[in-house]
Amino acid sequence: MEKQELAPHVSEIARVLGNKIDEKDIEKELDTYLNLYRVSLETAKRSVVRKLGGDPNALTMGVRKLIAELSGTEMSVDLLVKVLTVNHKDIEQNGETKQILYGLMADEGGSIAYTAWDAERFQLERGKVYLIRNAYTKEWNSQPQLNLSTRATIEPQPDDSMKLPERMDVPSYGPTNATVVELKEGMNNVTITAKVISVEGRKLETPNGPKQVFSGIMADATGKVQFSAWHDFGLKSGDAIVIRGAYVRTWRGIPQLNFGERAGVERTKTSFGSDQELSKPKLRSIGELESIGGAVDVLVRGVVVDIKKGSGLIFRCPQCKRLVQKGLCRIHGKVDGQPDLRIKAVVDDGMAALTAVLNKDITEMLVGITLAESLREAKEAMNPEVVEEKIKDRMLGKPIEVRGNVTSDEYGLMMIVTEAELKVPEVRSEAASLLSELEGTQ
Amino acid sequence: MISREVAWRVFAGEYNSSNLEIKGEGERAPSYIVTPLGAMINRVFLVGVLTDLDNIGAGEEPLWRARLSDPTGTFYVSSGQYQPEATATLSKIEPPAFIAVVGKTRTYSPEEGTVYVSIRPEKVTIVDAGIRDYWVLETCRSTLKRIAAMADAKDMAVPTVDELVKLGHTRVLAEGVVKACEHYKDVDLGRYRAMVVDALRYLLPEYRRDQEAEMPREMATNPEELEEEEEAKEVDREEQVLALIAVLDKNGKGAPWDQIVDEVKRLGLDKTALEEVTNSLLDKGMIYEPVLGRMKRI
Repeated sequence: MEKQELAPHVSEIARVLGNKIDEKDIEKELDTYLNLYRVSLETAKRSVVRKLGGDPNALTMGVRKLIAELSGTEMSVDLLVKVLTVNHKDIEQNGETKQILYGLMADEGGSIAYTAWDAERFQLERGKVYLIRNAYTKEWNSQPQLNLSTRATIEPQPDDSMKLPERMDVPSYGPTNATVVELKEGMNNVTITAKVISVEGRKLETPNGPKQVFSGIMADATGKVQFSAWHDFGLKSGDAIVIRGAYVRTWRGIPQLNFGERAGVERTKTSFGSDQELSKPKLRSIGELESIGGAVDVLVRGVVVDIKKGSGLIFRCPQCKRLVQKGLCRIHGKVDGQPDLRIKAVVDDGMAALTAVLNKDITEMLVGITLAESLREAKEAMNPEVVEEKIKDRMLGKPIEVRGNVTSDEYGLMMIVTEAELKVPEVRSEAASLLSELEGTQ
Repeated sequence: MISREVAWRVFAGEYNSSNLEIKGEGERAPSYIVTPLGAMINRVFLVGVLTDLDNIGAGEEPLWRARLSDPTGTFYVSSGQYQPEATATLSKIEPPAFIAVVGKTRTYSPEEGTVYVSIRPEKVTIVDAGIRDYWVLETCRSTLKRIAAMADAKDMAVPTVDELVKLGHTRVLAEGVVKACEHYKDVDLGRYRAMVVDALRYLLPEYRRDQEAEMPREMATNPEELEEEEEAKEVDREEQVLALIAVLDKNGKGAPWDQIVDEVKRLGLDKTALEEVTNSLLDKGMIYEPVLGRMKRI
């Protein structure tokens, strides 16, 4: 490694050693480790610090990353972030009470939940920008979470060193107005106007005693969203309301609207058009859904580019409905499997893809074969895969429109399909209008 | 989140003009072909007319080579024993037929600096003209998006991903466009706009007659080559090379490329000129490559 390249590492080591050692000596040591003994840069730096009497853990071992790049397995990572929310919490540790901080942080590409395991040490302030070094991540509910432990350091940065997209930013001028389609993980103090489509009360057992929650679906002209009201606002289906002070949390990628006692709920005379229009699913692109993580009752168009294994005639455990393979259920062992039909199709629109899961009724309708017929055909052919072949013949390469709820996990987007149609959209009128547009600009 | 490689919609005219490959580093890292319009392709979805289909392998090791044509050119598809599903389907199809292919990109570099692209299919299925037309329309839309992104990039002194994203292009496309700008330098957007216009007319019955008159000429040659075409001489050269390939094909496995290069020197052809001739012969379906680095007469 050349001298020039060493320079930033030398000054970093000097910083860790409290600038008490001459940089020339550090450079010589580092050079020996690297170029004579040929150990890795990381090991060399740690060794030099240790040798010169410093704490190697104070080195910035992390690599600066963007939040969107985090996998939940980083041992040491550096981030430049803006703190969106700060909450305090007391925990018991070794019989002592200790205060920790938790909340959300964001950079240009995304946001992440964090926990700072020492409120004294990490005096994070809402709306401020920090360079965080040596944090680690853990996965929780299939989302990465950022942890700041004793190894981590924070360095305040100028406020203008980070510009967040408006919708993600700290609501510095009060509440954010949003429509359903704009709701995203981590939004707070949201004002939204929507109509209650359905609502249902249920009792939850919490550590602080039983609590009632009212959840259901709301809609506006842009789409539908699941909500949970943690207080009895007397909501009824058909109510048009303005909610102030709501917040968004996601479940399997689906943004959900939450509002509690402190939120304001008012009836409004805003018209949402006919109920029929409002309850229709809205067309969304797969790329858009990918960036949000999920949605309730949407319509997606694409082409079937793959039929995944486990499609066609399958057998389920009569007790737990899990897939039975070679006569065995994963949980209940040897069982007499019940036949079922399903399709796991990859729908791709040229920009992104999702896995659409189609149940028996939809499979029968799309492929034109009943469960009874598939059983008979499989028996005759002595091969259950004949049904899968039939599905492939019928669906591969075909344009499809699917409707349902979209969720996401580590394997990507998935839609549980409620309606599906194989249809080739009309081509000529659109071709003609594209052509006249192009010829107009030439 | 592991996201599946998206299946790009791209015309043969754009795909075949690609010669930039980005190889994935590390285990299971995907490789991409970057087209002149900045599509960074690992997987494609194509619908076209299967015009030729040959099994140049044998027995346990079949190797099907297929030519799939769209309104702008021809895709080369090859499917062997490691693509059992696609190979099984292909072997039962009788050309001509409308087929849809989901496949992975492949490159072949006979020497430094030249890259040929083809498709290795994952799925092959028979479709109808309606689905082909819909694919052409979708591919027009997708090509126009890339043309727009490339046009924006050309307006920038130094195009950057962030600037392109700010203008509303997706990040994936912006990354591809920046790479394409660096590699292909000045991309002729007029050629691609004209390609889209032709493809749209192809879908509309009122243009059908003109199209048929023009088609053979358009299909056979690239616009750039048209200008400096000296047809008679070229046909002559093609025949010479064709004869040479037949002579050098001593064991029936095809004529080795290196030997062809050596022999044509006597005819006064250098390697680049030879490539033009062989490409033209490949396009016309008069020769094919049974294995990499060998040419054989059909």
